[in-house]
Amino acid sequence: MKTFFSKIADTLRRAPRWIYIALALALALIFPMLESWGLMETLWLRVGTRALVYVLLAVGLNLVLGETGLLHLGYVAFWAIGAYTTAILSSPRTARLLYMVQEHGIGKALTTVTQRTMQIPEELIGFHIGFGWVLLIAVLIAMLFGFILGIPTLRLRGDYLAIVTLAFGEITRITFNNWEPVTNGPGGIPGIMPPNIFGWVVDKPGEFFYLLLIVVVIVVWLLNNLKNSRIGRAWNALREDEIAAHHAGVHSTRVKMLAVVLSAGIAGLAGAIFGYYQQFINPQYFPFMQSTIIVCMVVLGGMGSIPGAIVGAVALDTLPEVIRQTFTKWLPDAFGPDFLPGVQAAVQTDFDRYRMLIFGFVVVLMVVFRPEGLLPNKLWRRETHEVDPREQEQTRQHLFDLEEGHPDLEA
Amino acid sequence: MAHGRTRKVLALALTLLLTVSMFTITGCKSDGGTSTDGTSGKTETIKIGVHTSLTGGLADYGFAASEGLKIGATDFSGFEVDGVTYNIELVIKDDKGEPAEAPIVAQQLIDEGVVAVIGGLTSGATNAALPIYQAAGIPVLSGSATAPDLTEVGFDNFFRTCLRDDLQGAAIGAWAIELGGKKVVVADDRGDYAVALGNEVQGTLEAAGVQVLREECAEGDVDFSAQVNNIKAFGPDVIIFTGYHREAGLLFKQCIEAGVDAQFMGGDGIKSNEIGDEAGGAANVEGALCTFGGFAQEAMPGYAAFLEKYEAATGKDGGPYAENNYDALGAVVQAIVDAQSFEGADIIAALHDVEYQGVQGTLTFDANGDVSVPGGGGIELIPRFEYTGGQWTYIAD
Repeated sequence: MKTFFSKIADTLRRAPRWIYIALALALALIFPMLESWGLMETLWLRVGTRALVYVLLAVGLNLVLGETGLLHLGYVAFWAIGAYTTAILSSPRTARLLYMVQEHGIGKALTTVTQRTMQIPEELIGFHIGFGWVLLIAVLIAMLFGFILGIPTLRLRGDYLAIVTLAFGEITRITFNNWEPVTNGPGGIPGIMPPNIFGWVVDKPGEFFYLLLIVVVIVVWLLNNLKNSRIGRAWNALREDEIAAHHAGVHSTRVKMLAVVLSAGIAGLAGAIFGYYQQFINPQYFPFMQSTIIVCMVVLGGMGSIPGAIVGAVALDTLPEVIRQTFTKWLPDAFGPDFLPGVQAAVQTDFDRYRMLIFGFVVVLMVVFRPEGLLPNKLWRRETHEVDPREQEQTRQHLFDLEEGHPDLEA
Repeated sequence: MAHGRTRKVLALALTLLLTVSMFTITGCKSDGGTSTDGTSGKTETIKIGVHTSLTGGLADYGFAASEGLKIGATDFSGFEVDGVTYNIELVIKDDKGEPAEAPIVAQQLIDEGVVAVIGGLTSGATNAALPIYQAAGIPVLSGSATAPDLTEVGFDNFFRTCLRDDLQGAAIGAWAIELGGKKVVVADDRGDYAVALGNEVQGTLEAAGVQVLREECAEGDVDFSAQVNNIKAFGPDVIIFTGYHREAGLLFKQCIEAGVDAQFMGGDGIKSNEIGDEAGGAANVEGALCTFGGFAQEAMPGYAAFLEKYEAATGKDGGPYAENNYDALGAVVQAIVDAQSFEGADIIAALHDVEYQGVQGTLTFDANGDVSVPGGGGIELIPRFEYTGGQWTYIAD
């Protein structure tokens, strides 16, 4: 038995990485088709599309939290900035703001609460900014705020970034909540128009899934190249030992800044597309809890590992829905309404309410049994678990190759 | 390596479980309600979706709504379409009161094959879910989403059996003017409901030429001395607080202590008898006035009977918006019977013409889907209350 399992495990480990990547891509490409073939409910397509937004966010946060080792607790702020950029530039709000600017100047437009019933001229109705520009503006604004946040905090050592980002997350949400002239305050902005990409109007969940998939593939490809570059090595060096890295010639402030700004940009991008997908945005989308959940996705997936962040995001975002379906549908369908003997039928129909409880329990189990994450980075696994002697031998060989000046520096 | 083997077995078991669940996901495309062969004398079941919040900050509202609907499902079952008797099966789903969860819940109900949906509990979640219901052509009736823009963005499938914030706001403003208010303070708690209501009150007052001072008393704060100083300097004759009773009590108390002499008013957020304690004694609130964002329970023809059923079913006192949700279900059932059809478009058309005799009275819907009474009706629908002798009493016309 033992040899059988370890043989399978060995084969799986030795299989080249491109096989896994190709498999994952093929799965993702087929996924929306399952719905159009009638094999899967539309619900799962919507769950999958939202999960892709979280994949972008988790991959972006992984850059700061996993690669560079900085605790970032206000990541939701950049997401919100992206989403609100879309909402303000591509909804009925856009025409209303433009009209205010034309009539009263920009200062008054940004500070005056307009009446809900205000009439705007016919020719302005439907005015909005195109998809590409919205994305670009969202990313730039998010990066700008990431930069501003980084200036005072990244020169310091310690957990200052955590404190400042925590506050920034709340400040952003409260600003969107109170800046009524532009954001319509707590009421939010409805009626966001679907993106039009060179004539392709994206307004169905399946189309959004493919749009997001393209973005995810590009972002992951870029990040993977970056991870294996000089900058990526510098990030990891900073995470492991800042003083040593500094003395090895890593300009720590600049390198950390790059990570924070890039990750802010990715969240801005995710937010902008998310705004289009939801067609409605209000401050309730972006509580502090969301920042925590994204941190959990990175940690549970495996810090510093891009596949880990992807798996963590998909798992944590879809789990509550899987639990809900399991207890309200699949189990009752398979075993009848009394699938839990001894539990009142009333409790079973109310399983909707208990799903978050089960979700919490599963997360605790994951932390207990796999502290290094679902698909861990090799270094982190070694810190939390016994190391397989064969793997140790491989590493030794690898280091030896490096010393000998082996041409293949990548591993 | 016994430890390693356990882990591998566990991993394999988990993989198996995931694979099996994948097959179950793909294998259970729903086929809608159970309708076998719709001929004479048969009893069949139709599904009606309930999109509500059973967890999260407004779970108590969601509980009351779903309990009210369960009573409704019993009461309204057994209606006839084309000679077939139909019973109602409620499909209750929870969105945690979060707009990000609302589209998923909406899709789930659509996949289940519901013919109509009662819900969104909160305005935010309803706003996020409506585009999806709209695309599927499913009628949606909310008993508690009061934000004005919901019926103004252009969703033709949305109706509500609660009165809008702006109606209540206009009613509060009109009442303040009636009382002779020339300088009025409007304060909110920065929450979505209070801000929207406050904006409507302010708009009504300013349109009538009344001088308004806007103040913010954030939810959870205790010390409002800065606001009270501003209020004292302004010298108002009416102070209106659109938030909830806790902050209202504190604000009124601190105003009295500072020697501000003005009429206290508020929206339905302050309509709790606890406000006496929170203001440091009922005497501080004596004579305060408030409105309510729905039809007055005291004036509802069917409320006593409904409350009896609700208490028998839940063992609790009447819950917020339970009767509105009950009426939403009743109205949609009546529309189905009127239309003799389960098609979304037919039900939506029938809802525009329906005249439904519910707990709240005789209800109709206007062109936008807002609830009305036969012959229309404006701010006079909003009931008024006065705080006397430690409790809110209804002011009958």
